[in-house]
Amino acid sequence: MIVSFNNVRKYYGSWPALEKVDLRLEEGEFVVISGPSGAGKTTLFRHVWMGDLPTTGTVEVVGFSSDGIRSGDLPLLRRKLGIVFQDFRLLPERTVFENVALPLQVTGTPPKAVRRRVFELLADMELSHRRNSFPNELSGGEQQRVAIARAMVAHPVLLLADEPTGNLDPEVSRKVIDLLVGINRAGTAVMLATHDPRQVPAGAARFVYLDGGRIVDPSYWDGYDQL
Amino acid sequence: MIHILQNALREGMLNIRSKLPTFLVTVLMVSLSFMVFDIFLLVSWNLEYALRSEQENVGIEVFLENRVDEAEALRLADLISGMEGVRSVYYVSPREAEAVFRADMPEQADMLELLGPGFHLPASIQVSLLLEYRTAEKVGTIARTISGMEGVADVMYGEEYLPGLTRAVSVLEKLVFLAGLVLAISLSLVVANTVRLAVAHRALTLEIMSIVGAPAWFIRLPFVGEGMVTGIAGSAGSLILTWAVSSMLSSTVPHRFLPGNWILLILALGAFSGAAGSWIGMRSGFRRPRR
Repeated sequence: MIVSFNNVRKYYGSWPALEKVDLRLEEGEFVVISGPSGAGKTTLFRHVWMGDLPTTGTVEVVGFSSDGIRSGDLPLLRRKLGIVFQDFRLLPERTVFENVALPLQVTGTPPKAVRRRVFELLADMELSHRRNSFPNELSGGEQQRVAIARAMVAHPVLLLADEPTGNLDPEVSRKVIDLLVGINRAGTAVMLATHDPRQVPAGAARFVYLDGGRIVDPSYWDGYDQL
Repeated sequence: MIHILQNALREGMLNIRSKLPTFLVTVLMVSLSFMVFDIFLLVSWNLEYALRSEQENVGIEVFLENRVDEAEALRLADLISGMEGVRSVYYVSPREAEAVFRADMPEQADMLELLGPGFHLPASIQVSLLLEYRTAEKVGTIARTISGMEGVADVMYGEEYLPGLTRAVSVLEKLVFLAGLVLAISLSLVVANTVRLAVAHRALTLEIMSIVGAPAWFIRLPFVGEGMVTGIAGSAGSLILTWAVSSMLSSTVPHRFLPGNWILLILALGAFSGAAGSWIGMRSGFRRPRR
């Protein structure tokens, strides 16, 4: 098991963002976290990379527990994760190559190995010709592929994708989802947050539904009506 | 480890290069803030230098009785040179005193002719003191001891102006220290805040570095380095501006520029305040996970 939420509650002041969340994710699994805006998807993801800690309950991720994690452990945890955001969060003053290389450079990977890995990944993502471009010179789809390349460059155990298609048109969104499915088939566990679970092919993933910070039974979930 | 350090330095250069206009504006603001401090130091330094030069002239003139012959005067000089606080002594014979009088006051040389060949200016011993003994109190003590010696007619040591000079030097030293300290603290805060604001614009960089697993020191090192470079460049810029102002005024207001060790102090203060500003800026940029 690489992710485990045990009776997790998160309160921002008196507002409950997560309520009694129990969730498990196995190695190599693909889980889609779905739910309307404000359901708690992003909060749940923040708990996985421990940008937030639970008010009560415990989160365990790749051997690190929210109960005893120290500041010095956070980089070690995050090196085992790849994270993709809806708004890409690429560094605008760096080229595609530099953005993708960043996770390797911060861990002291030798420059030759960095170049080899980044070139390989950019080729896989069909971005080789864009390696010297800056993010503002790319289309939305290309920017998201760069963000995915950056997330995958250090061979993470788990890829977290928080609404990665939120800013993309349907055609590009489908390609990004296909990319995530391919990554999962290659062995990397994927957690995808989306308000539209229909983007993910049936059978490719396990679906979890969040509403009001609680995991709800899909048969009682009326989220589809809101899509 | 070497690769991480290389990358951290590369990050620092990249930060500066990517935000060059912001960097230059920050350096200019730091320079202007530091210039106020530099000018204060320049004025203080020159005032203190003038007072110290005045203090350099402080000494004791011991006039001997007419009956004291040269051999006895030299024995007395030996005795005085052995006293605590005395740097050197110089015996001035009546003949030398007359020569000095004629050279220094040629218009009054006729007075010596009127007084006749039997008149001699008194012999004297000029006593030079160690720097730390040139205060009114210490000079007074030494002068009183000498005046009690056999063969001494009179002792002069600038008792009219020395207490005022000693007080002025002491007050100026305290003023420079206190005002300098207050200025240095306020300046450090201004510089630190300027750099902090520059760093705050890098919130995305800080967040992404943290998310991709960069150790805290790797994230901080380039920013602290950038803050130091900003501080040093700013303080160096202020020194250049102050030097230009100083050069323009040198013909109308003669003065000296700051000495080397004060220049180093200003550069060190720039480096420190810049690094501190970066550190504080990053502390607010780093969001620690909360329960």
